Amino acid sequence: MSLDPRASEAPDVNAGTPLPTAATIERELDAGRSKGHLDTVFEVQDGSDDQRLVMNFGPQHPATHGTLRSIFTLEGETITEADVEIGYLHTGFEKLAENMTYQQWVTVTDRMNYLSAINNNVGYAIAVEELLGIEVPPRCQALRVILCELSRIADHVLCVGLQAMDLGAFSVMLWSFEKREVVYDIIEAVCGARLTTSWTRVGGIIRDVPPNFSDLVWSFVNDFPKLHAEIHYMLSSNRIFKDRVQGVGVVDRESALSWGLSGPIGRASGLELDVRRDKPYSGYDKYEFEVPVQDTGDSWARYQQRMAEIEQSISIVRQALSTLPDGPVVHEDFKTSLPTKDAVYNDMESLIHHFKLVMLGHGIRPEEGAAIYSCTEVPCGELGFFIQSDGTDTPWRIRIRPPSLFNYAIFPRLVEGGMISDAVAVLSSFHVIAGELDR
Amino acid sequence: MTDERPDPADGAEEAPSTPEPAPAQHPVSAALTPALSSTILATLEHQGQTAFVVRSPDQRALLEHLRFEQNFEYLKDVTAIDFLGRDTVERFQLVYVLHRLTDHLTIRVHAWLSEEADEAPSVVDLWDLARWGERETHDMFGIVFDGNPDLRRLLMPEDYPAFPLLKDYPLKGRGERRQFPYLQPRGGEMVEGTPPPYPVTIGRGMHTPDYIEEVRRESRPKGE
Repeated sequence: MSLDPRASEAPDVNAGTPLPTAATIERELDAGRSKGHLDTVFEVQDGSDDQRLVMNFGPQHPATHGTLRSIFTLEGETITEADVEIGYLHTGFEKLAENMTYQQWVTVTDRMNYLSAINNNVGYAIAVEELLGIEVPPRCQALRVILCELSRIADHVLCVGLQAMDLGAFSVMLWSFEKREVVYDIIEAVCGARLTTSWTRVGGIIRDVPPNFSDLVWSFVNDFPKLHAEIHYMLSSNRIFKDRVQGVGVVDRESALSWGLSGPIGRASGLELDVRRDKPYSGYDKYEFEVPVQDTGDSWARYQQRMAEIEQSISIVRQALSTLPDGPVVHEDFKTSLPTKDAVYNDMESLIHHFKLVMLGHGIRPEEGAAIYSCTEVPCGELGFFIQSDGTDTPWRIRIRPPSLFNYAIFPRLVEGGMISDAVAVLSSFHVIAGELDR
Repeated sequence: MTDERPDPADGAEEAPSTPEPAPAQHPVSAALTPALSSTILATLEHQGQTAFVVRSPDQRALLEHLRFEQNFEYLKDVTAIDFLGRDTVERFQLVYVLHRLTDHLTIRVHAWLSEEADEAPSVVDLWDLARWGERETHDMFGIVFDGNPDLRRLLMPEDYPAFPLLKDYPLKGRGERRQFPYLQPRGGEMVEGTPPPYPVTIGRGMHTPDYIEEVRRESRPKGE
């Protein structure tokens, strides 16, 4: 068989052509040429008793939950070498940003982590607000916190459910999907969309929440602990689940620090970092919450970490909802933030402000040469935006610091030496979102 | 929101204790050695965030110092900016975002990199995060990091001919697709065909009248 991808599509690949030797494949791997060429599963034979097998795990594999591709070299069931290839969902978000205005790019941030798009919207809005030096009203801050924490709960509970599903406990996934739907219903009531929310604007949010918002959220936070307890009951003392995840994919604290892991994955390894506490944004300093930390750093710790974070998120939502202030939801300076639709249609001055903001060549203009790195805590970890302004209404450069990218970089090292089933356990506990990974 | 103003309790800057109302020196820059301080071209301040600007090979020594002497153990990000067409020191600027766990201070180091040099020192031995950070920067800008053991393409295909985040790479238009080998039917079987010669180089002059005319010609239905 030839390593040429075109040859593998021909019908007579096995007709008399010799299989590649291990040496050939290693050479190809060294040269970086074989990426994309290992289209089929094939056995390595070089005349000796070398029985290594190079196998593609993904990009279309049920356990990857996205377009993630790993290339495993196997000896029996054991992974001796692992490499990953990413970029299947690369869409050029950063390039797009250089050709859109600051307000327009909010829609693009939805597509990064599509499981918790609200968190991306809020992270981006906060970054631009920090660049401009404006602070949004307290009600907007509290609403952002509530929606972010609800998204975090939905994201974490889905991750736990999928982790359980990959290891055989299908019911947990169905339960978590059921409760996640409730969060999506709340998000739909708030902004009209479920996944691609585009909820924030620079300087505020699209509109105030509907009147029944409090009731919806209260019923969710009062109802949710039941599911939380059920998942604990189902998994935390489940022998099969524990055997699959305990001691698998261990990341120690030094590695977590050096590889820049963040979020639940970093904290499961004892890396006590949480942007919500370290650099409070959006009024997080007003709420009391703990930053749970685990010390074992294995897949089990990551499961426990997410379960513990859900509790804290519920607590934050309760606090924020009971102290939700009244007032405007958009920053009062309409030179930078869009006026409400009501005002635009009924008020001359607001119409002018709106017109000036949305017309190309006007809009929000940060100071020339200003640059900012702003980070927020999203369910996967630390989401950072580095924005370089050139004084016009389009950013000169926006760099997204995606948590999934740097969390995933350590993955090949973790699975080497383990079994294929361990790779599934590790990958599901990492909860890598391909849209955010590739951007 | 984020408050990164220098902590007055820091001992390093208390020592001179000059009474004159000079702008308070950043605690990080106050703790630098004179040799390192002399490499810093500028200190950028915006909304309480600090960035030190140096010229390209100098950031290696500065980052080493910050990593080992000033305990910035957590590298948050590595990236680059292309300042093509702007009146700047050099064309590229590398950006390193560093974080210290003890006081949660985040600073940035910006390093000017000339278009001709096109090679920067790698920091993979200081932080493992730089492995993929530099890989992506290489993938998007074509900057080579000397010392990075695995500088393959990260997001783009291995045989992709261009670097998309360069400012002279167009947002719209097609063309790069033709750089790939492709199969075309000939005599009942698929053989490797040669794509028609591409009129302009990738990334430059994409929207010339010739090119637009050619795209129009190609997009007409067959047989006209």
